[in-house]
Amino acid sequence: MLRYLIRRIGAFLPTLLAASFLIFVFIRLIPGDPAAVMLGDQATPEAIEALRVEMGLEESLAVQYLRWLSDVVRGDLGDSIFFQVPVLELIVDGLETSVLLALMTMVWIVGFGLPVGMVAAARRGSWLDQSLSGMSMFLASVPTFWVGLYLILIFAAILGWLPSSGYPSIFGEGGLANLRYLLLPSIALAAPNAALIIRLTRASMLDVYREDYVRTARAKGIHPLRVIVRHVFRNALLTVVSAFGFTLAALISEAVVTETVFSLPGVGRMVVQSILRRDYPVIQGTILMIVLLYLAINLAVDILYAWLDPRVKLR
Amino acid sequence: MNIIRAPKHVVAVAAAMALGSVFPLSGQAAETLRYATVGEPPSLDQHVVTSDLATTIAHHIFEGLYTFDGNYEPQPLLASGEEVGADGKTITINLRQDVSFHDGQAMTAADVVASLKRWGEHGSRGKLLFSNVSDVSASGSHSVTLTFESPFGPWKNLMAFINGGPAIYPERIASNAGSKPIDVKDYIGTGPYKFGEWKPNRHVELVKYDGYQSPPGAASGYAGERIAHFDRLRFIPVPDPGTRVSGIKAGDYDYAESMPSDLIDDLDGDADSKVVLNGGPIFGLVFMNSKAGPLMENFKLRQAIQAALNKEDALRVSIGPEKLWRANGSFLPKGNAWFTESGTESFSEGNAGKAKSLAEEAGYDGTPIKLLVSTNYAFHYDQAVVFTRQLLEAGINVQMVVVDWATLIKKRAQPEEWDLFFTHHGFVPDPILISVMNDNYPGWWATQEKQQLKSAFTATNDPAARKATWAEIQALIYSQVPTMKTGDVYTYNIASPKLSGIEATTLIWPHFWGVSK
Repeated sequence: MLRYLIRRIGAFLPTLLAASFLIFVFIRLIPGDPAAVMLGDQATPEAIEALRVEMGLEESLAVQYLRWLSDVVRGDLGDSIFFQVPVLELIVDGLETSVLLALMTMVWIVGFGLPVGMVAAARRGSWLDQSLSGMSMFLASVPTFWVGLYLILIFAAILGWLPSSGYPSIFGEGGLANLRYLLLPSIALAAPNAALIIRLTRASMLDVYREDYVRTARAKGIHPLRVIVRHVFRNALLTVVSAFGFTLAALISEAVVTETVFSLPGVGRMVVQSILRRDYPVIQGTILMIVLLYLAINLAVDILYAWLDPRVKLR
Repeated sequence: MNIIRAPKHVVAVAAAMALGSVFPLSGQAAETLRYATVGEPPSLDQHVVTSDLATTIAHHIFEGLYTFDGNYEPQPLLASGEEVGADGKTITINLRQDVSFHDGQAMTAADVVASLKRWGEHGSRGKLLFSNVSDVSASGSHSVTLTFESPFGPWKNLMAFINGGPAIYPERIASNAGSKPIDVKDYIGTGPYKFGEWKPNRHVELVKYDGYQSPPGAASGYAGERIAHFDRLRFIPVPDPGTRVSGIKAGDYDYAESMPSDLIDDLDGDADSKVVLNGGPIFGLVFMNSKAGPLMENFKLRQAIQAALNKEDALRVSIGPEKLWRANGSFLPKGNAWFTESGTESFSEGNAGKAKSLAEEAGYDGTPIKLLVSTNYAFHYDQAVVFTRQLLEAGINVQMVVVDWATLIKKRAQPEEWDLFFTHHGFVPDPILISVMNDNYPGWWATQEKQQLKSAFTATNDPAARKATWAEIQALIYSQVPTMKTGDVYTYNIASPKLSGIEATTLIWPHFWGVSK
């Protein structure tokens, strides 16, 4: 197991190196530069050029890339051109919001998606199954921003129960109570993802239902609930767990619509804003961290997979 | 064990969240104004940055020698007055002696000289003034003398316009700053609020400056008495307009900017919010390329393009409610001292037949004309779609090149990349500040006729003579068509009804001295 882990983590390095190169080159292939965005519409080309020189953007791409890479190796992702603060600081702050939002969303997805999927599978073909399947299709179809805006309208503007937007850190004033800022966004974000888990759980469970060992268990007279939970659900969980991993990674890095609607300072919105501003160090640093996150979650899923299914050997 | 422990955590968090709901963080709300912005400014450095959002925040921190009153007339702010030499070329500005910076240091002539020099060297608007300044120096501990090569009429208006303008910084900061915007740690001004913190992606916060000495006189526009009632001003990026509206209704924000035009009727009669119109309209501009391409020197073809356009149709499609736009051809709005109808008969003809015959006279052979437009501003794109259709109907082969704003700024600096580009302009109190008057602004309009009129426009301090010359310049713009104005757009903000001291319209940018809750 330890050798497996070392080998997998070692394999991260070439992936990260390739990713760093692609990110660096692709962002510079897009026309536009931070100097022009910073100085605004009234700036003359001469003023923009002078600022580019001062920012070091006139050096060759190879020099810029090697300098950035050598800094990254030393743990320095550089400073944001616009905010003048270390990129790592921005990422850590963004990740607090994104990770907490993703985890809270996962709570809804697991707490709602799994049981509903199980019930739908257990009552397959019934009116209940049809209703739950219809509901999951509805949740999958409704745009997140639409759900978000209505949640804000009802629970913040009309009822006044929850804040409409923003998220103050749980490490600042307000502490853990600030998690209430993430309640509405996590529900909005959970809706389409819960639908996916409902469908996946139902389909996986129906597959397992057809297995011989399930028929044997039922023939032995084991209580149907016990058959579902111990024999069907646990084996169906293997497929669902894989989906959880990718869903979690996507929730952290791709919640940009939800973060925009609820004005959350997460990494998704930060990347999009940085691309619009051409804040190269932030784009490079954040995407590199997201790549690392995907690799780590992928590894965690593989380990979890082996734990759930002893037949799977990690080599 | 785990099964028992987990719910305890859940209960603890839920309890904390419930407590938060019952006891919301409103302890600070009574003393903090929460302003929902569309995004974050690139920097607050007023010398080199011309972003309106930057000025909305920064003019609480930084002040200039002059500012505008409610009639857009320049009035002393850090200055106490001035003496203009008999030849009109020497101006001595006397400074107020009671002004201190946020670091506690008294403001002196050395600070003013260093700030003006940096602005003149690196500020896009500063270059306009300093292209005619031969010297700026201290003529006393609290007086500064500007020497012009020839009399320069708009000097005071340029000094009073803080956006991209001559904010006064401490000498040590101004003299060490180059073309790069100054560091956040150097945001030290003389205004009623001092810089507090900038938490990226979260907020910019200003803190009341207790040592502030207000300028004398009754408050009018940005001039006169400035009293800070709030302890803090917090500018929070809330990019979604629907969220900004809901945030005001929920009481999470006190003021929200840039509301969608189609909500104006709903919000106007809403008891939960107060509509604040921006007094100075913004206006779209379609620049033509004077350096390269088929429009370079072909004024007839430019006139053909101008004749084809019906601006009213484009405004209706892009903005909607008629109370938020005016099909006004004058570069400054009706009621303003600079309003003139000179040349505006060509503003919005929408005459495809005339356009066709003008294009024929121009020898137009159907060469594609590239219209560079960005999707970042919806009204740019919407109007460009309408114009493209109108031009095609007139037989002019326009091809839209749709990019994001950062790309547009890059491409427009390359003359071979475009023939027309779409931008917009904020309200300015003096026509000299309109970008088309700047020979170096992309489009690069610098004909001999323009130079002659521009020299006459800046060479006199006589308001009547300047207005007459401006009318001639506007007529020349409609004749040589370096740019096409697409009409006035009145943006609006909303405020919590709990705020008092908020006027029905802003002068240019909202300000929060004199406002309380």
